[in-house]
Amino acid sequence: MKRDALRAVAMFVLIALLPLAGDSYWLRLGTTMLMYGVLAISWNFIGGMAGYPSFASAAFFGLGAYAGAVAQKLGAPMGFAWALAGAAALVFAAALGVALLRLRGHYFAIASLVVAEVLRELVNAATDLTGGGMGLNLPIPRLASIEGQAMFFFYAMLALAALAFAAMLAAMHSRLGFGLRCIQQNESAADMLGVNTTLYKVAAFMLSGVFVGVAGAIYASWVHYIEPPDVFDVLYSVKAIVMVLIGGAGSVFGPLFGAALFLSLEELVWRNYLQVHTGVLGLLIVLLVLFLPKGLISLRRRTA
Amino acid sequence: MKRPIAGAALAALTAVFAVAASAQDTIRVGAPLPMTGPLSPEAVKQQRGYNLWAETANAAGGVKVGAKRMKVEIVYVDYQSNTPRAVQAAEKLITQDKVSFLFSPFGSGATKAASGVSEKYGVPTLAATASSAQVYDQGYKYLFGTFTPNDTLTEPLSDIVRKAAPGVHRVAILARNDLFPLAIAQEMEKSAKKRGMSVVYFEKYAIGTLDHASALTQIKAQAPHWIFATGYTNDLVLMRKQMADLKLEAPVITMIAAPAYQEWIDATGKLSENVTSAAWWHPAVRYKGKDLFGSTESFVKRFQAKYKTLPDYAEASAAAAGAILQMAIEKAGTIDPAKVRNALASFNETTFWGPVKFGPTGQIVSLEPPVFQIQGGKPTVIHPAAIRQGELRLGVK
Repeated sequence: MKRDALRAVAMFVLIALLPLAGDSYWLRLGTTMLMYGVLAISWNFIGGMAGYPSFASAAFFGLGAYAGAVAQKLGAPMGFAWALAGAAALVFAAALGVALLRLRGHYFAIASLVVAEVLRELVNAATDLTGGGMGLNLPIPRLASIEGQAMFFFYAMLALAALAFAAMLAAMHSRLGFGLRCIQQNESAADMLGVNTTLYKVAAFMLSGVFVGVAGAIYASWVHYIEPPDVFDVLYSVKAIVMVLIGGAGSVFGPLFGAALFLSLEELVWRNYLQVHTGVLGLLIVLLVLFLPKGLISLRRRTA
Repeated sequence: MKRPIAGAALAALTAVFAVAASAQDTIRVGAPLPMTGPLSPEAVKQQRGYNLWAETANAAGGVKVGAKRMKVEIVYVDYQSNTPRAVQAAEKLITQDKVSFLFSPFGSGATKAASGVSEKYGVPTLAATASSAQVYDQGYKYLFGTFTPNDTLTEPLSDIVRKAAPGVHRVAILARNDLFPLAIAQEMEKSAKKRGMSVVYFEKYAIGTLDHASALTQIKAQAPHWIFATGYTNDLVLMRKQMADLKLEAPVITMIAAPAYQEWIDATGKLSENVTSAAWWHPAVRYKGKDLFGSTESFVKRFQAKYKTLPDYAEASAAAAGAILQMAIEKAGTIDPAKVRNALASFNETTFWGPVKFGPTGQIVSLEPPVFQIQGGKPTVIHPAAIRQGELRLGVK
């Protein structure tokens, strides 16, 4: 654990130096990469460790984005709004977890997929509060300069990613991580042996929600305009899963590497293929998963 | 060994950056568009307008810049209907593709979000589809928009109705829960209340609704004098037909934005008679422009020759953005961004789109959006006075 922690610190320090090296376009890519990293790390709690294929990332993300945005619209300061978004996602995940985590496998996946759709319709209908289909404009933070803003949101996202990573590392090396791995291997057996499976699963689900919720709120402040189809986009759920699969499910560094590689691929393909980029990206992902089923992390084990 | 892979990807990325070539004798204009995702139909329209401008300008030898003529090249990027990607696309176009000018992404929200980037780099930016006044109130100097605020559509309409039919005071509003349709419905509510009319019904329907009967029955129970419905062609064809089925009639029925499209008139046939509407532009308006398209008629003719359909206000606005940019460049005699920006700020010319003059915020102030009514199966302009073709007729059955 100590070695992993040290490596992680080194890595985050390296990422923190990015603004020195690149122009603001790189800074923007870096912010997006860290956001993807938060999504992937969060999914790893429930999907990688407990083996529950959750599609609820988009729901947490959108919920956080709207909680943060509405709070700011009503006059809350930005930092408070972000914390509130995290709390909202946490409570929502707990309530949802108690209901949904009774389901297993495909049933759980489908149920979690629908949550984002339900939330989107609710947000759409609550026009007075959320602007509905018109979207919601956020106050532009009064920071020194546009470069200053870019820098600020980069470091905010970096701090969140580091926090999520630390939580994952702690969870992996605790009773919780052990229990979740038991659940993944054989839930009935774990239950019989005295692992409180319901508690553990709900805890994992809450952890997979809270950071994504905060990421949603930071995102909303960052782009200062959100609309329901934007933040409740099912692609947030899918991307989180794909990134973890590319990196290596259940591993410590897998989600982060997966996020970095996924973003690089996405960017490369997007630049070079105007019309068919989504198709090319899909093809690349299929190839990656086919030839590296255990993710990037497995490369190291093979050569070591 | 995970690092070599990530490294290779990064190296490849850097290599791509270097390819961005910029020829000296072309003017590169960046256009981030939502080519995939829910907004993709809008991207097609924007692209038609931009392409028509570029082709027309190039066919005439290019844009006159001082003594020489430069060809136009539009660099498109797909932002997947996703706002942060629109901002990212704008930044990529400026920093890596080295475009000299920018056309904004679609809609008020994405335009506002992306305007910070073009302001930062000092790149003159034309917004063809952003109407909200909040887009332009950030004190930015490089953003110019061709749409007037939404209330410039509902205000003249309400004035005309008030004058022609003082007895109209019960208004029912049914709006599609979508960016522009809902915003314009809320403006209508304000305009009506301002004139002492009472809004007896205000509801919104979800995108993709396939049955309006229950909403229309509720409206009928309120016996409104004025029914104001918003949506696109499919929504309002269905709604208009269901109104007829339910025998829902009123002295005034206004629909936005579908009646601006010939397909809507064709699909509803006789039911379209006397329905009023408003848009920022309509192919029936008649302006004599000094731009490359000349008169509105000749623009419509060119558009029809190329795309076999009538242009709508979004397509015309995109082409107008190009035409305005061209005139500003020609007036400045250079593609120096600061000088073109000044030429845009002091712009005061008539184009096929209408008279163009930008206010201190950068939003157009000279344009009077036409109010029109379907009379005898044809859209007839009833406002503004300068291009009026007929008078408001009451009674929609």
